[in-house]
Amino acid sequence: MPPRSAAEAGAAGVGGAAVGGAGPTILPPEDLALLGHLALLHRRLAGGPYPGSRRSPRTSRSPELADFRPYAPGDDIRQIDWRAYGRLEKLMLRLYVAEEESALNVVIDASQSMALGAPAKWAAARRLAAALAWLGLAATDRVAVGVLDAAGPFTPHLRGRSGSMRILGLLGDLEPAGSAGPSHLGALSWLRPGLTVVVSDFLGDGDWAAALADLHSRGQEPLAWQVLAPDEENPPLAGEITLVEAETGRSREMTVNPRVIAAYRLALAELRDHLRTKAAAAGGRFIHTRSDQDLSASMAVAAAAGAVRRA
Amino acid sequence: MELLAPAAAVALLAVPAIVALYVLKVRGPRVAVGGLALWPTHLADRQANVPWKRLRASWLLLVQVLVAVAVALALMRPGLVGGAGPEGTTVVLIDGSASMRATDVAPSRFEAAVAKARRLAAEMGPGRQMALAVVGPQVELLASPTADPSTLRSALDRARASGQEANLGEGLSLANALIAGRPGGSVLLLSDGVTTAPASLPALGAPLRYERIGVSGENVALESLGRGAGGDVVVRAANRGDLGRDLRVEMRADGRLVDLLPLRVEGGSSAEVAWPQVPKGDAVIEARLTPGDDLSLDDSAWLVPTVRGARRVLVVRRGGEGFLTRALGLRPELDVTVVEPDAYRPGDWDLYVFDGFVPDGPLPSPALIVDPPEGRGPVAAGPQRDPGQVLAADPREPLLAYASLRDVHVQSAAAVSPPPDWRTIVTGATGPLLLVRRGEPRMAQLTFDLHRSDLPLRPAFPILVQNLVSHLLPGLGAEEVVTIGRPAALTVDPGTDSLAVADPDGRVTRLGPPWPATFDATDRPGVYTVTASQAGQPSQPVSRFVVGLTDVNESRIAPGPGPTVRSSATQTGEAPLATLELWPWIVAALFVLVAVEWVVFLRA
Repeated sequence: MPPRSAAEAGAAGVGGAAVGGAGPTILPPEDLALLGHLALLHRRLAGGPYPGSRRSPRTSRSPELADFRPYAPGDDIRQIDWRAYGRLEKLMLRLYVAEEESALNVVIDASQSMALGAPAKWAAARRLAAALAWLGLAATDRVAVGVLDAAGPFTPHLRGRSGSMRILGLLGDLEPAGSAGPSHLGALSWLRPGLTVVVSDFLGDGDWAAALADLHSRGQEPLAWQVLAPDEENPPLAGEITLVEAETGRSREMTVNPRVIAAYRLALAELRDHLRTKAAAAGGRFIHTRSDQDLSASMAVAAAAGAVRRA
Repeated sequence: MELLAPAAAVALLAVPAIVALYVLKVRGPRVAVGGLALWPTHLADRQANVPWKRLRASWLLLVQVLVAVAVALALMRPGLVGGAGPEGTTVVLIDGSASMRATDVAPSRFEAAVAKARRLAAEMGPGRQMALAVVGPQVELLASPTADPSTLRSALDRARASGQEANLGEGLSLANALIAGRPGGSVLLLSDGVTTAPASLPALGAPLRYERIGVSGENVALESLGRGAGGDVVVRAANRGDLGRDLRVEMRADGRLVDLLPLRVEGGSSAEVAWPQVPKGDAVIEARLTPGDDLSLDDSAWLVPTVRGARRVLVVRRGGEGFLTRALGLRPELDVTVVEPDAYRPGDWDLYVFDGFVPDGPLPSPALIVDPPEGRGPVAAGPQRDPGQVLAADPREPLLAYASLRDVHVQSAAAVSPPPDWRTIVTGATGPLLLVRRGEPRMAQLTFDLHRSDLPLRPAFPILVQNLVSHLLPGLGAEEVVTIGRPAALTVDPGTDSLAVADPDGRVTRLGPPWPATFDATDRPGVYTVTASQAGQPSQPVSRFVVGLTDVNESRIAPGPGPTVRSSATQTGEAPLATLELWPWIVAALFVLVAVEWVVFLRA
């Protein structure tokens, strides 16, 4: 089981060292220390067969009392509060807060476009995916990480230390290639009901709104996390330029001038508003961060959006 | 300034090519992006899909255009004519013919040519020499080859146009002599091309460059002014241009305007008008075309009565008056007497005309002999024979002025062999028809019977007779027209001490023995009055003569293509070296421009 806190991580022997398997360093020690103080927030729980650390809207046996209610035929008589019967001469049932395990699906866009930007989006996106998985494992969630591609690699839903090693190993071995889009999201078979985080630049063609709504219909809480490079938010381009779409190879000759740049930025803002609205409509959230931001800045953005909280 | 390689102007196409590079779009660098969806298509694509863009002001563009222009200029090899270069001599020939007095180029063609020569002298660089000559009927060398501009300027101050045709052959011979033995020579002819150049011009030992001066060929000339059969004055005008003109002829008597005659002259043709209201007396009649045109020399003509009274002419012929007598009678200043050969007695006659008769013994003079008997005459007449077709005569012959004999037919004429002191004026296919003796005493001989030809029926006949009389009786009033610039020979009576000649402006030139005197200040058209002084007697007017334009070719002022002259083999194909080529300076400027372009490029 992964450590629940930074202290626990240190006790587990990974707190003072970078985590990332044999590949590049994904989560340096300072990021692990930061993650020890954070927790993922789920708006809805889709409980699994095992108890977990997530508060469930359902009641169950647990140390924490949730409420009382009158006994009704058919109720488990083991939950009758006999002390209350002695005082009230009524059969009352004790209700306890259920703590359930939850599923966390981390979908990372490993398409060719994620290799663009300065600094490249891929490193930031992979760090975010690892951090989110780490937070899920720390919360005893079953965490699966996979690529936004039906044929791409993914891990089964894992728990504990061994799970973190496999997840980080998978992420460390990935390199951006090929193409990905919203149509691939619906084709992922390994997603379980729970929180589904999609880390992408969301710049490809396709209907992301429909894909997010599809996640919602499949009992998942979508969290769309857009990662863009600074030069994608404000392109430093001017003059005669041939734009080439990284994933498809399509090109377009343009005369880029301040008016074009302004129109691009307006279109980007409209895209973000659109994703934010559709994610909310699907019971989820939309977050956008930049590739030049460190993990603490990105998590601050997520905290502001209600996706994480301090533990 | 001239361009030695004007075809290189095609290099100027580099200028629009450079501008096109600034206007046409170039394919921009390829930039990878995550997606194209966010890039506006309505704005950028429209601009990107057009192959050009708006031309913006650019120092780099300006400098590059200047570089291209400089390269093109250097390739065209501009040069200053007469400027410095390799050592060489330029002979500048200025056409001094009468047509160069035309004013279609201000102030006149001749003055424009002189100004051009003056500029060349001023632009002449070191190592160059220039010679100047005015080509008139004679060639006047103004300056031998010299490198001194002041000498050339003062020489040009002496340049004067004549009233005659230019002797181009003599001018080219002079140029050949001037550049002989001088490397790098060239000849520049400043002319309007109005010339009847001889068939074979001398080959030039240096390249000849002809610079045409003059723009218009429109000119109407007063061709003749004479008396008709009824005593009226007949004015004939010839339009040498292409456009018809409506004119008026001012008729003046002793300078006073007395009548205006309308006259319409179509382009390339002649027209005449008669003036019956001739004032009585001895007034000088002047006809003047108005409005004037570009050549004023031929816009006026004069009819001057003799001041010495009628000249006495004796016509000796059988059968009384004939065509010849009637033609002589057209001149009021002639007193014609007709006698039979048997009644002929030598006497004090001013002119003898022997028609079909030649007296024994020495012939009196001056004399006109018509159809002398076989074996008689100053030029012994041979047997009669068919002279054949009348051949075209020299159009510049004064005796045939305004009298064309091309359509005249002669049935038979005497075969003659003209001696060296006689010259043939008109000839048939087989022999001479009209001969004139050179010098004194003055004689002329027609070798055929006028009645055996249709000459008396031709309009040219009375004109020919007048011309012959004017030749045989020099000083016969206005009948003698002296060509502008040509000396006038003045005959005097015995005992004359001195002569005074008053020009049209009243300026008097005095002349003394030996006689006959020659008066050469005939540079102004008009009537000149000769006054004689004898010992113990007051001065008396003795004659008048008219100075005017007599060469009809000079009235045709349309600029011509210039002469075709052969160059010697050693000079053929070489460009005139009398040009200061400017390309080295342009190349130097080019280097500067390229340096500036580099600086501008680095700053951009």
